[in-house]
Amino acid sequence: MIKITIDGIEVQTDREITILEAAKQVGIEIPTLCTFKNLSPSGSCRMCLVEIERLSRPQTACTVKITDGMVVRTNSEAIMRARKAVLEFLLINHPLDCPVCDKAGECILQDLSAKYGAAAGRFKEGKRTNPVSFEDPVIVRDMQRCILCTRCVRTCDDLQGAFAISVINRGSHSLIEPFSGGRFDCEYCGNCLSACPVGAITSKLHRHTYRPWYIERQVETICGHCGVGCTLTLQMRENTIIRVIPDFEKGLNSGMLCVMGRFGYDYTEHEERLRSPLIRKDGELVPVSWEEAVEFTAWRLKELVKKYGGGAVAGIASGRCTNEDNYMLQKLIRYVLGSNNIDSAARLFYRPAVSYLERMFGQGITANLIPGIANSDGVFVAGGDPTTINPVLGIAVRSVWKKGGKVFVVGKSGGLRSNIKHELNHAEGAGALVLTWILAKVYEKKNFISENSIIDKKLSALKVPDMDMLVRVGVSPEALQYTADELVRLKNPVVIIGPETVLYGNGSKNLFLLGALNYVLNGRLFVLMDEPNTQGCLDMGCSPGVLVGGRPVELETFGHKMENTAGMKTPEGTGLNLFEMINGANSGSIKAMFVMGENPVFNIPDKKKVESALQKLEFLAVSDIFLTETASLADVVFPASAWSEKDGTYTNLERRLQRLRKGTMSSRGRADWKILADICKALGMKESYTDVKSVWDEISRISSVHSGVRYESLIGRGGIWPYGGEPLRGIEGDFEVEGLEDMPELPGFAQSGRVILKEDKSLIHSSSLSRYSPALMGVASEPLLMINPVTAQSLGLSDNERVVITSDKGTAVAILRADRGMPEGVAALSNTFKDNGFRSIVGYTIDPTLKSLNITDRVVTIERAKQL
Amino acid sequence: MDERIILRNTDDPLNASIAGYMAHGGYKALEQAVGELTPRDIIDEIKSSGLRGRGGAGFPTGMKWQFASLDPKFPKYLVCNADEGEPGTFKDRPILEHNPHLLIEGMIISAYALQSTRGYIYLRGEYPHAKRVLERAIEEALASGYLGNDILSKHFRFNLTVHSGAGAYICGEETALLDSLEGRRGLPRLKPPFPVNSGLWGKPTIVNNVETFANIPYIVSQGAKAYASIGVKDCPGPKLFSVSGRVNKPGVYELPMGISLREIIYTHCGGIKGGGSLKGVIPGGISTPIIAPENIDCPMDFVHLPKYGSMLGSGAVMVFDDTVCIVRVYERAMKFFEHESCGKCTPCREGTAWMRAILGRIERGDASERDLETLQDVAENVTGKTFCPLGDGAAGVLLAAMKTYREEFEYHIKNKRCKVQ
Ligand SMILES: Cc1cc2nc3c(=O)[nH]c(=O)nc-3n(C[C@H](O)[C@H](O)[C@H](O)COP(=O)(O)O)c2cc1C
Ligand code: SF4
Ligand code: SF4
Ligand code: SF4
Ligand code: SF4
Ligand code: FES
Repeated sequence: MIKITIDGIEVQTDREITILEAAKQVGIEIPTLCTFKNLSPSGSCRMCLVEIERLSRPQTACTVKITDGMVVRTNSEAIMRARKAVLEFLLINHPLDCPVCDKAGECILQDLSAKYGAAAGRFKEGKRTNPVSFEDPVIVRDMQRCILCTRCVRTCDDLQGAFAISVINRGSHSLIEPFSGGRFDCEYCGNCLSACPVGAITSKLHRHTYRPWYIERQVETICGHCGVGCTLTLQMRENTIIRVIPDFEKGLNSGMLCVMGRFGYDYTEHEERLRSPLIRKDGELVPVSWEEAVEFTAWRLKELVKKYGGGAVAGIASGRCTNEDNYMLQKLIRYVLGSNNIDSAARLFYRPAVSYLERMFGQGITANLIPGIANSDGVFVAGGDPTTINPVLGIAVRSVWKKGGKVFVVGKSGGLRSNIKHELNHAEGAGALVLTWILAKVYEKKNFISENSIIDKKLSALKVPDMDMLVRVGVSPEALQYTADELVRLKNPVVIIGPETVLYGNGSKNLFLLGALNYVLNGRLFVLMDEPNTQGCLDMGCSPGVLVGGRPVELETFGHKMENTAGMKTPEGTGLNLFEMINGANSGSIKAMFVMGENPVFNIPDKKKVESALQKLEFLAVSDIFLTETASLADVVFPASAWSEKDGTYTNLERRLQRLRKGTMSSRGRADWKILADICKALGMKESYTDVKSVWDEISRISSVHSGVRYESLIGRGGIWPYGGEPLRGIEGDFEVEGLEDMPELPGFAQSGRVILKEDKSLIHSSSLSRYSPALMGVASEPLLMINPVTAQSLGLSDNERVVITSDKGTAVAILRADRGMPEGVAALSNTFKDNGFRSIVGYTIDPTLKSLNITDRVVTIERAKQL
Repeated sequence: MDERIILRNTDDPLNASIAGYMAHGGYKALEQAVGELTPRDIIDEIKSSGLRGRGGAGFPTGMKWQFASLDPKFPKYLVCNADEGEPGTFKDRPILEHNPHLLIEGMIISAYALQSTRGYIYLRGEYPHAKRVLERAIEEALASGYLGNDILSKHFRFNLTVHSGAGAYICGEETALLDSLEGRRGLPRLKPPFPVNSGLWGKPTIVNNVETFANIPYIVSQGAKAYASIGVKDCPGPKLFSVSGRVNKPGVYELPMGISLREIIYTHCGGIKGGGSLKGVIPGGISTPIIAPENIDCPMDFVHLPKYGSMLGSGAVMVFDDTVCIVRVYERAMKFFEHESCGKCTPCREGTAWMRAILGRIERGDASERDLETLQDVAENVTGKTFCPLGDGAAGVLLAAMKTYREEFEYHIKNKRCKVQ
């Protein structure tokens, strides 16, 4: 027990805390400037000086740890003078332009000056001038106002791990500058903005429109851009979002956000938001009333079911919609229309990956906590860049490195480039080869004795490639050896699986290898999830063979349960998956479809095929917030409310249930669940729902995993898996690995002049939604083709050139960007920009084992675009 | 026979080569250390010798080594601070240029005592000649088996690299030096942890001054007792003084610790140039408070100078006679501090610039009584409140000068010109 006295008050603790923390415990406030949450103390501003008995000089309370018997004074005359002096020093060169500063009202310098007062202006020497720059699309830098607390730099280095800004110059000429000069050209997480105590780094989005007292209302909600599910606060005035800030006290993100979460909120107010329900009349979509749209939809669906049977109807759900929305869609499709044909874009990667791993190890195997990654001593990543797909999870991986842990990335290291020791980047298509070698080595070195005979048998059946083969696909023996050696040593490893493990073939084998690696290492698994609620969409039964809570359709008992509450029966037999639905529409077996918050025309490869399939439907209804490529083909379009306009729940990639809260209501859209409930009602459903909570109540009654979870209780840490209900036990039994015993093939290289195309995930954009965000478009406005510089050169192309990419399936135009992280002969394009999306110009087949997307037709030619 | 220890044989141009150095008995101490002594023995010997660091703070070297040696972490790093940036200081230079093997031998013995395998010499950027000399000497030592992976066939490994600084004074401060060595912007680090526990790349690290290392071979070969008999109790040994300013024979002098300032000036340096009268002496570099003429009998060592309100610092003696304007001296000094302030902490960053501006106006005859008050107040607001000793020293030396030479400052204000001239 340590006992100290601060200003005559006794403080007792059993931990070695700083004087600052000890003072806080007894309510003594010591002013600080350079101290900030989550940052280690810097001791540089000298604002927090205190007197310690027997020490001749004042000491900084933020850095000095207490020791037993210490006597501290925080309010002596000398200390008051020292505080005043620090403020005076900070103000002599400060522009004192508070009336035009966005920080006014929440500026620490302003507050402290008011409190401790600075000496009257006795500085006669002329203020220095420092740069003020507006060139950046989202960040305004005013170095006149900077107090050099370095909170921004330390945030960028120590928390974000981006190392994008630094103090330049020395002494009184010091200032903060991005390494790239005027523009930040960084990860644009804006976390430096939350760290800046004054108005030196501010958001351009609310420049001159923000003052703390302008805020009329604020709500705590969950970010709608990716599957991490960061907690953030929407600050609003007159129904528009003025600013998004993180909440340092709540949420799994402890105050961190990424560019999408912080700046990408403005799509909700885009002028192209749908404003009214639309019905196609004489080939044109025309505005109609809500009643008409609902009645019309109900009537058409009823007719078509009557004519063709429930099996002719299909629904596509969405990982961007809430659990309640998805639940209601599956209720419509299954229990009102009598069809199990319900699926979502989760089919493309996330669902097959997670369900395969769950088949290996049981339900919830990927339900691990993101903040826990930071406690790991090593992270193994394959199949995608966590720093761009799930940025805040990505920075947790960086923090492992920061603490001395190891990071391994199979494939392009991307945002983890500074955190790895060796590249394990391989030729396109050689992932399984590399993974097999690593797994085999680790298995051998660990002397692992498995308790799972099925996995054990499969492990021994693996054919291990020799080093020669690996060298031929571009991986160095040194890197492989290092990886195997270090992996074996890990005590608390994490394995992260991204979409590329499945999207380009070898899906079941890759997943088996990674699952088995995690098993042998005794690690924790994470599967990257690009949309905020893909997991929830699955949990809500938006999958042809699985019902709410994850029960297989075949389970009779569940059917009874459903009948009891909803008065309707679960249809028999497994329904069609996403691809089968498209085929069905093409062949004529599917006649009607309801698409909620999804854009299959843009998001499923082979645009022409998908488009023509949807055109053949007798009836297509779409609910969305924009008139997407898919919505523009519909017979009825419902304007939905956007993320910021909704209440409900999301389930993130950790399976944490979190509550979304309604902020603005700028559109006339309605929540999807409400639209769907109205349609159900018009079709004879008995239940009525007063609000989203009543929908949740029904879910928690029906789903065994969610049973008993109360809507109101989903606050703070959210609902962490398992929710108190019962997770399903692992399905004991064998599972299939395609090509288990085959030696992985050396990939065939594209012939010269041709390049293999893959999908890029930009940090700035969340698939295609973010193209409606002016802020994010300001940062990244054009499609980019990332390509290996040697390959670009061999094609006679150079950086920043506009190029045309042509495949068997279509063409796209993009700006060429040389990227040394790309293997030779490979280029990447994102699926973000209208008319130039990656998926529109590739084809697909279906993985026979996983029933997932297998992208094909990736060989492309790249040529300089003709001058416009 | 050369009686000196540190500058021994530096008049012999061949001494910088390993052959010349060995001809004078060089590397015997190393052979003795590695052959006969355990690392512990050496640390104990250094401790009982009473050697204090020559970089400025005078910290007991043996104690520092013991702290590092007790830390269980490995590798341990050994760093020689050869940044020599303190204005007026040029005492490490003759060692670096004319006695490089003495430094290297001292470092190898330290490495052996600390079980360090990697050493760096952080060299002042403006010493390109010393760089060439050192690099050649390191190569020679490697070739002779005194450095490398199997020193003296004793399975003892130690390698040494010279790293040139980029000219920032603050990089002479040991933790800023380590930042700079790691390839970052050199800024003083928070202490604790101290370098002995968490230094270069977070590993236990010893940082010692060039002159400190140069004392090691003597202590090892002649014993702590012999060493302790030189100089004064609590601060023994030989000391290099770099004397500049208004004396007849400026230069680097090796004299025993505790010698008086008067002896240095009048006995060794030939007295005041041009026969003028002494106005004041800065005893240990610009960061140490000035000493008035009436105090020049003070013994020059780490123990006694504080009693005269000053410090030994780097032992850079700067002598001013009555042709020198004290206001000018401190305006110039403050320019240096302003320029060299790293900018990390508020009082030093803002205060040095402000003080320099006011001093400039006083010097130019463009200031009032109020300005003198403000200057005093600003300096008081800086002293004792900065992150590292640089800012503290900047304000401290000004306050001392303003106290002793107040009428000179006042003269500037009243008469709008300098008293001297
Ligand atoms: C601003 C500043 C500059 C310094 N410059 C030097 C220098 O140039 N050379 C040096 O040896 N020590 C310098 N020091 C002292 C070092 O921080 C450190 O105390 C010394 O290298 C320790 O070595 P020693 O124990 O052998 O003296 C400086 C200290 C400060 C605060
Ligand atoms: S926005 Fe993020 S990446 Fe960019 S400088 Fe700020 S903290 Fe660093
Ligand atoms: S920009 Fe802001 S956070 Fe960064 S150093 Fe300046 S005042 Fe501190
Ligand atoms: S990491 Fe994902 S959830 Fe978090 S702010 Fe970024 S996009 Fe939003
Ligand atoms: S006193 Fe402060 S600003 Fe000055 S050099 Fe030291 S740390 Fe830097
Ligand atoms: S808050 Fe303690 S020094 Fe800045």
